[in-house]
Amino acid sequence: MIISQRHKWMIFIFLLLLPIAAMVHFMSGHLDISFSNLINSLFNFDETNTNHLIAREVRIPRMFTAIIAGAGLSVAGLLMQTLFNNPLAGPYVLGINSGASLFVAFSIMTGIPFLSSDLGIITNALIGAMVFGLIISLFSEVVRSQISLLLIGIMLGSFTGAIVSMLEVSSDASELKVFTLWSLGSLSRIEFGQIPLISLVFVVGIVGSLFLIKPLNLLILGQDQARLLGLNYKRTRFIIIAITAILIGLITAFCGPIAFVGLAVPNLVRIMLKSQHHGLLIVSCAFIGGIFVLLCDALIQAMENYMLIPINVLTSIIGAPIVVLLILRKLR
Amino acid sequence: MIELKKAHIGYSEGILHCQDIQLECGNVYILVGKNGIGKSTLLKTISKQINLISGQILIDGKEVQNVSTNELPKLLSFVPVHFPQMDYVRSREFISAGRAPYTNALGRITEEDSQEIEHAISALGIESLSERFTSELSDGEKQLVAIAKSIAQKTPIILLDEPTAFLDYSNKKKVLSILKETAAVMNKCIVLSAHDIDLCLEFSSNFLVVNADSKELQLQQKPSRLGIISAAFNES
Repeated sequence: MIISQRHKWMIFIFLLLLPIAAMVHFMSGHLDISFSNLINSLFNFDETNTNHLIAREVRIPRMFTAIIAGAGLSVAGLLMQTLFNNPLAGPYVLGINSGASLFVAFSIMTGIPFLSSDLGIITNALIGAMVFGLIISLFSEVVRSQISLLLIGIMLGSFTGAIVSMLEVSSDASELKVFTLWSLGSLSRIEFGQIPLISLVFVVGIVGSLFLIKPLNLLILGQDQARLLGLNYKRTRFIIIAITAILIGLITAFCGPIAFVGLAVPNLVRIMLKSQHHGLLIVSCAFIGGIFVLLCDALIQAMENYMLIPINVLTSIIGAPIVVLLILRKLR
Repeated sequence: MIELKKAHIGYSEGILHCQDIQLECGNVYILVGKNGIGKSTLLKTISKQINLISGQILIDGKEVQNVSTNELPKLLSFVPVHFPQMDYVRSREFISAGRAPYTNALGRITEEDSQEIEHAISALGIESLSERFTSELSDGEKQLVAIAKSIAQKTPIILLDEPTAFLDYSNKKKVLSILKETAAVMNKCIVLSAHDIDLCLEFSSNFLVVNADSKELQLQQKPSRLGIISAAFNES
């Protein structure tokens, strides 16, 4: 696989755009907080200064969450698309998110204290994502058609949706509220102190995916050819699902389900780069995904005075038309 | 070299069988037989994509079943009927996938790898295609790129499933003569399935014929057109 001069320039531009998007995001909250407050709140923190407090406890965690969520979902989406050899695959469409949602619904609405703690929710989201990832990959063995797999993913989503509704009906009002708010998606649930742990899990997922560059590049040729070129398919599939589950589980636990980012961003990135080099694609997906969610959330913050839009709603409003455009472009 | 020893081939029930057959390096073998008689299945069995029902298949003296996933791509390459549908893969990138069995875990292309890639490109005379996306190539051009990948893979054995199926007359001739030359010059054992019996007779005198009645695979050397057709299609 070849990295051209043009690719290097594009990565360089993405690298510049991310901090710019982060700044736009930081400035878009309705209280005016200067850039110097951002720096000072990190390196020269003054507890009595309200601006420092807002920067450190609200703005920075939210900015961080937007980047992690966008980057993680996009990379996970890319891995799914390559694994299933299907540009319309994504964690949301294939029901991986629903798996995480189902397990989180269990943990919130059973009322067992450990399960409804942060760690309990993360663990459950991760297990849910992993279990549903394995289910969909077993189906992918049986059905070779791309459309069938998507339909099965959608059915998995409907099925878990029904079970979640059953849980909702039988749970009490406070649990129901917690779960409903969670399922709308939010980037403001992470606290400053949680950033190191989340970063660690995120980095494990991204670095893990970078070790998959060669297998991913081979999978582009199709499963059979990849095997004939020495790929251990079952092992690779398991690692890809595990990494996807880590990324999706982490993000879903903290931010709730966020639709379409994992589906739209990898497609946009492929069109921009015109390459299937997965080293390039993973890095670019991480950057563009981060930038995309930062800008979406900046818009949400800017509108906050007029209207409250959950992040999942906005990514769907923007993402769904992009996906339709991609399908039209494919069919033409 | 490929050796088939009393092999029974098929999925759950055997569809094709043979006595002992040896396929030598330096030759092109043309596999002919009716639709659905198991030509593709045979090629897939030799390349370990399907398990053998009974008997033995040896490549380079080793039983196929015991060759590891890492080692197999250094012994044998396989060109499927359909070229994979992929966006944004340039021909050179596709050909370089043939080096995957030799590169390290991160897939780094060494000096030697790029020499092999260039060699494969020039052997087929497809320099002008190398920077184009494979999705933009014609069927004939795709076939040449697929063969170049096999050559870059540097395997003593190349199997091709109906490489001439979607090609026009001149491209069929081109592909067959390139394969003939490759087998002779690089001393490879090439097996391809085809339905263009008349054309293939011009390029090879080694035919693997699946008998329409007995479903037995037989090696016919210097066969007549009539001999092949009567055995394979039960017609005279």
